[in-house]
Amino acid sequence: MTTVAEPVTAPASLAGPRRRALRRLLRNPLAMTGLVVVLVAVLAALLADLVAPYPAARTDFSAALQPPSGRHWFGTDELGRDQFSRVLFGLRASVTVGLAAVGLSMAVGVPLGLLAGFYRVLDPFVSRLVDTMLAFPFLILAVGLAAIRGASLVTAVVAIGVAEIPLVVRVTRGETLRLREMDYVSAAVASGASDGVLLRRHILPNAVNALIVQATVTIPAAIIGEAVLSFLGLGVRPPTPSLGVMLASAQPLFRDGPWMVVFPGLAIVLLTLAFNLLGDGLRDALDPRESHR
Amino acid sequence: MSPLLRPAAVLVAFALAASACSSIGSDEPATSTTGDRPVKAGGTLRVALAEEPDRLDPTLARTLVGRTVFSAMCEKLYDINEKLEIVPQLADGLPTISADGKTVTIKIRSGVKFADGTMLDAAAVKTSLDRHRTLTGSARASELSSVAGVDVVDPSTVAIRLKEPFAPLAAVLADRAGMIMSPAALKARGEDFASGPVCVGPFKFSSRVAQDRIELVKDPNYYDADKVKADKIVYEIIADSTTRFNNLRSGDVDVIDRPAATDVDALQADSNLRLLTSDSLGYQGITLNLANRDGVTKPPAPLTAPYAGPVASDARVRHAFELSLDREAINRVVFRGKYQPACGPISPSSPYSSDAAQKCPPHDPAQAKKLLAEAGVTTPLKVSLVVANTPDGRRLGEAIQAQAREGGFDVQLQPTEFSAALDATDAGKYQMFAIGWSGRVDPDGNIASFVTTQGSLNIAGYSNPDVDRMVAQARATNDQAQRRDLYGQIIAKVQEDLPLIYLYRTVNFTGVSAKVGGVKMYPDGIIRVTEAGFTE
Amino acid sequence: MRRYLLRRLLESVVTLILVTMVVFAGVRALPGDQVRALAGEEADPAALEQLRHEYGLDQPIPVQYARYVAKAFSGDLGTSARTGLPVADTIRHALPVTLQLSAFAVVIAVLIGLTTGVLAAVRRRTAAEWAANTVALLGLSVPNFWFGLMAVLIFAIAFPVLPASGFVSVFDNPVESFRHLLMPAVVLGSGLAAVIMRQCRSAMLEALGADYVRTARAKGLGGAQVVLGHALRNSLIVVTTIVGLQLGVLISGAVVTEQIFVLPGFGKLTIDAVFTRDYPLIQGVVLVTATAYIGLNLLVDLLYSVIDPRVRVGGAVAQ
Repeated sequence: MTTVAEPVTAPASLAGPRRRALRRLLRNPLAMTGLVVVLVAVLAALLADLVAPYPAARTDFSAALQPPSGRHWFGTDELGRDQFSRVLFGLRASVTVGLAAVGLSMAVGVPLGLLAGFYRVLDPFVSRLVDTMLAFPFLILAVGLAAIRGASLVTAVVAIGVAEIPLVVRVTRGETLRLREMDYVSAAVASGASDGVLLRRHILPNAVNALIVQATVTIPAAIIGEAVLSFLGLGVRPPTPSLGVMLASAQPLFRDGPWMVVFPGLAIVLLTLAFNLLGDGLRDALDPRESHR
Repeated sequence: MSPLLRPAAVLVAFALAASACSSIGSDEPATSTTGDRPVKAGGTLRVALAEEPDRLDPTLARTLVGRTVFSAMCEKLYDINEKLEIVPQLADGLPTISADGKTVTIKIRSGVKFADGTMLDAAAVKTSLDRHRTLTGSARASELSSVAGVDVVDPSTVAIRLKEPFAPLAAVLADRAGMIMSPAALKARGEDFASGPVCVGPFKFSSRVAQDRIELVKDPNYYDADKVKADKIVYEIIADSTTRFNNLRSGDVDVIDRPAATDVDALQADSNLRLLTSDSLGYQGITLNLANRDGVTKPPAPLTAPYAGPVASDARVRHAFELSLDREAINRVVFRGKYQPACGPISPSSPYSSDAAQKCPPHDPAQAKKLLAEAGVTTPLKVSLVVANTPDGRRLGEAIQAQAREGGFDVQLQPTEFSAALDATDAGKYQMFAIGWSGRVDPDGNIASFVTTQGSLNIAGYSNPDVDRMVAQARATNDQAQRRDLYGQIIAKVQEDLPLIYLYRTVNFTGVSAKVGGVKMYPDGIIRVTEAGFTE
Repeated sequence: MRRYLLRRLLESVVTLILVTMVVFAGVRALPGDQVRALAGEEADPAALEQLRHEYGLDQPIPVQYARYVAKAFSGDLGTSARTGLPVADTIRHALPVTLQLSAFAVVIAVLIGLTTGVLAAVRRRTAAEWAANTVALLGLSVPNFWFGLMAVLIFAIAFPVLPASGFVSVFDNPVESFRHLLMPAVVLGSGLAAVIMRQCRSAMLEALGADYVRTARAKGLGGAQVVLGHALRNSLIVVTTIVGLQLGVLISGAVVTEQIFVLPGFGKLTIDAVFTRDYPLIQGVVLVTATAYIGLNLLVDLLYSVIDPRVRVGGAVAQ
């Protein structure tokens, strides 16, 4: 049984294209810029405790609302907190929300999508669930969650992550439907491979490209989503800042301290821009047919 | 208000304005009225409100912002003046109170017509007061709970029978409980009165679009119609303070309710705009959960985990917390110094204020640490504080957190959406809650519900028989000096037991375009536009 | 075809019932009910109990739901707990605001997205492509509300050329309506414009490389003719699809935009209703949103099945 050829095993067939994709990615200057910015941001977020000149929550009422200076690169806020340090810590919260929300949506959405695409019987149920979630106003969910759980990082992650699940399910399901019909999958079926093997070894690895692309679109969307939630008063718990919370709380103080709005805002724009550039590069690299590069 | 009273009122306004101005520490003259400027007839006055009013039914209405709209279309038996004194509005003179204090007789102003043209008489007053007392879900029922019955003595006189003497009654009738609705309209609309309210007022209800606007038009039937200049008042709902301010600057609205403390300087600096200020009747502070285990109005009981702790069980710990807070600094950093530090529930501008009522503990973190050591708690002591999940609420929480750290506390902030916070704290599921009170004219309204054992807003679960007794005593006497003295004693007791830490008092701000005159604001924070209009 | 139609209709009804049920139970699970939220600081426990009884909130949730559905079927969506105004009227006033805003935003997004997309595809490797790409990237990367606040600061405060807020219906006064909605529509449409630009660009590129365009070129047709006559027509189909798919996103975006520009629209209504636990209003809002979304999806699916019958089998519209 096992000797019968698996004519085109997925892993072997992937190695080549993946390497080529990586090479294409490395040659794309915009994507590389994005990657570098993302890496710097992630490092800064991870090492905020070491890099930041002040603890995020340290207040100094005598140094409130100072414009940017050598002492405080990004100035201070109304409680005299160093804005540069807070942007670094805020970066941590925002990157965490972005990654965790996407992680959550993938963890739930991918299995559902695989099942729906692979087993016809399950499809109607999963599809109804997805339709229900899509027809459900996302903001009601976010406000509701924040009311039940209180504003916190976890709430933000769950609210954004859940909102992204339907998209992940759809992408995965579409890919599964497409891959099922592929020759090598039919061959594996003919060779008696079990469903688990089919899904694990043949379908999922080949759906990964689409999922990576989806993730790079979703991460910046989640980071902006966190900012929007904060704007509506549903952000992470103080005194830990997130970029969105910093922006939202600085907004009424715009006239007194424009720097309080400018720097966190720039940080969000740069971060999402970098993720978008990287995502574009990845898409081009993984699927050159689409981009005609 | 009787026309005769008005010149005096304006003078008082100037005096108040001067004091208000010094109290907010600004160089620009700030006033509580634009009444000095002659205005011409005609025009539509656009007023931006900070929140959406709830039902426009005096019996069911519960929001502060709703009172602003009512002030232009639903007059009351009594009103207050700048000095927070009770003055007659639809009543003809102050009430006469029987010797035993249990019968209050009120004369009704004659020749007054409702907006639908029907006449105001004693029967109409009785109908409204009875509705306030008995309608299902009435927000007025508890304010009027001391009333046993209302009798029509003659067409222009009603007598209110009380279960026991109740000094705050006139003040209660100077608020929504004193608003008289047209019996004809009540009959026609019933519980749906809110969709077409008919009262006595300078303006009458015209239309309302939810979350957008409420429009009132000049009422030709109004008894003092000559005083009314504007043709129309449009209240627009603009929740965001920055946007509200931007609209005033761009001329899209003429008056704005509650500009943010952070916008006040810019408002004063702008020569096209004017700032009205008045002290607030309310207070803001922290309520501490002492014994609210089973819910508000349930008997006090020792707290259980996770809310139990030294804060609830040991007054020294609560005092330590208060000593670690710097009210001046909170006002400075959180509210740009625009508000006023406060240590008690009675506004300094109230006739019931006294030295005892305004007594303030110092800011002393060293003493706080000492008290904590005496109480035998290990520092830093972890405590949780529920704050409103708004930029201001979070900022206040962060300032408290930073200061309490100096005193040996590790404050965990719980920013909570307002409805959820009210629900949790009613149920006793909290340790500390940063919450305030919009304030009432009579000090009873700022004190009784919060600190008496059975008080409907006593979310601290506080119970002190002495306080209960003195609150009842203060209600039963009409002697102002005696009441002032009693409230001083009550506040001293409360400061000793510390179920509430009073922190600051907001200042009512209203932004007005320089083209507009005749807008008034008293310490109740209501924007009065009866005589407002555009300047000549 | 008829069977497919019936099945999709049935599915839609099931989805609608599910959504309304989840919301109905969900909002009642939130801490603080409509009565408590309404009472605010003036909370007299006895009066609150009376009100709960009056609104039937002391009944089991399935009973409340059954009553609601029965009333909703006769067209009665109840009255708002906060304002006492009929829910149907409230929604009827708010809906046109959001619809006009969204329509304007779509027009702007399509205009910007199409021109920059075509430009980027036709003028490859020039400054024009670079600029178009940059605009698209910024559209995706700048948070809506930040963009909105900056726009107000610049165009309403610093250089007061546009009103900072408010709504005028296009049917009452087209000029004023345009002035009031321009900023919000640009802010709301920016993200959509970016998506359209990118899709349009790649569709154009694909079309320009396709056989029939090559044939057209070989037949000697000029550049502009080829671009406009063939490639653009092809990419328009893609754009239509995107607009359809993004409509839900647009409505969510409208919430924030309406908040910034104080437009009394549907999004703001929704958020306020949840914050004040206005159950009847939340239910009405969700009913309308879900019906609109489901109806739209049904329409898109049916269109697809007309264009490409294979979809009926696969059911998936690859994203």
